[in-house]
Amino acid sequence: MIRIHNIWKSFGDKQVLRGVSFDVVNKETTVVLGRSGGGKSVLLKMIIGLIKPDSGSIEVDGKDVAAMTYKELRALRFKFGFLFQGAALFDSMTVGENIALSLRRHTGWTEKEISEGLRYALHVVGLDNAEHIMPSSLSGGMKKRVGLARAIALTPRYILYDEPTTGLDMETADGINLLIKDLRTKLGITSIVVTHDIHSAFVVGDRFAVLENGVALMTGTRDQIQNSEDEEVRKYINSSLPMAEGHRS
Amino acid sequence: MADTYTGIVQDRRFTFFAIIGERSSNFFGHLGRYCALMWWMLRNIHNAKEYSRNIYQQMVTIGNDSIPIVVFVSAFVGMVTAVQSAYQLYDWIPRAVVGSLVVKSVLLELTPLMTALVLAGKVGATITAELGTMRVTEQIDALEALAFDSISYLITPRVLAGMLMFPVLIIFGDLVAILGGLIGSVAVANIPAESFITGMKNSFETWDAVFGIIKANFFGFTITSVACYQGYFVEGGSEGVGKATMRTVVLTCLAVVVMDFILASVLL
Repeated sequence: MIRIHNIWKSFGDKQVLRGVSFDVVNKETTVVLGRSGGGKSVLLKMIIGLIKPDSGSIEVDGKDVAAMTYKELRALRFKFGFLFQGAALFDSMTVGENIALSLRRHTGWTEKEISEGLRYALHVVGLDNAEHIMPSSLSGGMKKRVGLARAIALTPRYILYDEPTTGLDMETADGINLLIKDLRTKLGITSIVVTHDIHSAFVVGDRFAVLENGVALMTGTRDQIQNSEDEEVRKYINSSLPMAEGHRS
Repeated sequence: MADTYTGIVQDRRFTFFAIIGERSSNFFGHLGRYCALMWWMLRNIHNAKEYSRNIYQQMVTIGNDSIPIVVFVSAFVGMVTAVQSAYQLYDWIPRAVVGSLVVKSVLLELTPLMTALVLAGKVGATITAELGTMRVTEQIDALEALAFDSISYLITPRVLAGMLMFPVLIIFGDLVAILGGLIGSVAVANIPAESFITGMKNSFETWDAVFGIIKANFFGFTITSVACYQGYFVEGGSEGVGKATMRTVVLTCLAVVVMDFILASVLL
């Protein structure tokens, strides 16, 4: 379980997160909704210790991430897969080498086993036989799929998604949404999805946290969020939904 | 750096002391972070053997790929040293002195320094651009998220490769420069090859060659470590990468000439 408690973070004069708190339930997909530049990606990076909060705590399976040594952080990161916003593929390596990198380094597998592992990961994301392609030849959607294959290669317990559908056309975005749902259903993975795409959020999410100006306005299920009487939450949902529905009509 | 400003400093930012204070603060801030990076690298040097493939790849990039430019520059350094030495000699000074001057100048100073200045641009800029691009596209974050120590994986191989390959390049450069000196003497300065070789043999000391190799080692460490630091801590997107690359070239050139003087003062 992941517990996020009273997180504050600023960069220079800009206060990005102000006392954000919510819990992530195991085997569910928690969506952090909010506008671009609202600190959602920063929060995600804090969970695996890439960024340290100014104050507050993030507990993963009972241990505070901010208090960990570097050795403990590296051990923690084995539990996580991370899909970055731009996929962050290593552009000097092929698709196969990107996925096999962590398998080679962190497992004692033979080359045959590594090959099978990477082919399985590519199969899960629907990109069979793509291992020899260079990232520069991939479309945006394919890059995200490869990024996801790399994230699940070590069968993590948690997956963090940073704006998984941003920059994708509707059809490709829907494909990614289905993948996210599939991974939860088939592999029982706990996910945190950070997005401003409210339509995708409601497709994949079980639980939601709405961030506005660095503050968690509300956490709850889809129905609780949509039927919320909080004025700020209603303002956010109403301003985002027509835009999302317009894109799909 | 906006974090170090107070309201008073902002109002007086164009006064002399405010500027000095800001620049000193920036300089010592960067120096401290650079030293912390080097300390981390040293503390985890035992991880280097796990990344031996990376070290080998960097040795090829830094070493093999730099041979053509090192050979080209060294050849002309040798030739111009011979021609200008001959020009400066009076008629009553034996022509063999040209060989002595070439071998001393090339081994002690010209080949290590000129090679380092050229490689500050070629190797230094490449490393900064590579690491800077990885930083702004979150590839370094991705490495950390995959439980890699990004410093041991990216920086240590480059610095070790620089320290190993710069001396090799200098040795190549020395040989080519001396050959260039011979060609320049014979073809342009009309000095017989036997005179050049006699002068060269009379003046050659092993310590001169060793001194050049020691310099190369220091230059290799400086250029690669500064380049890695600038790239690893890039901020500000592609514009930031460009600025960091420029800073690498300028800083490493300055560092090389200062270190050149210090090493000469201490070791000679």
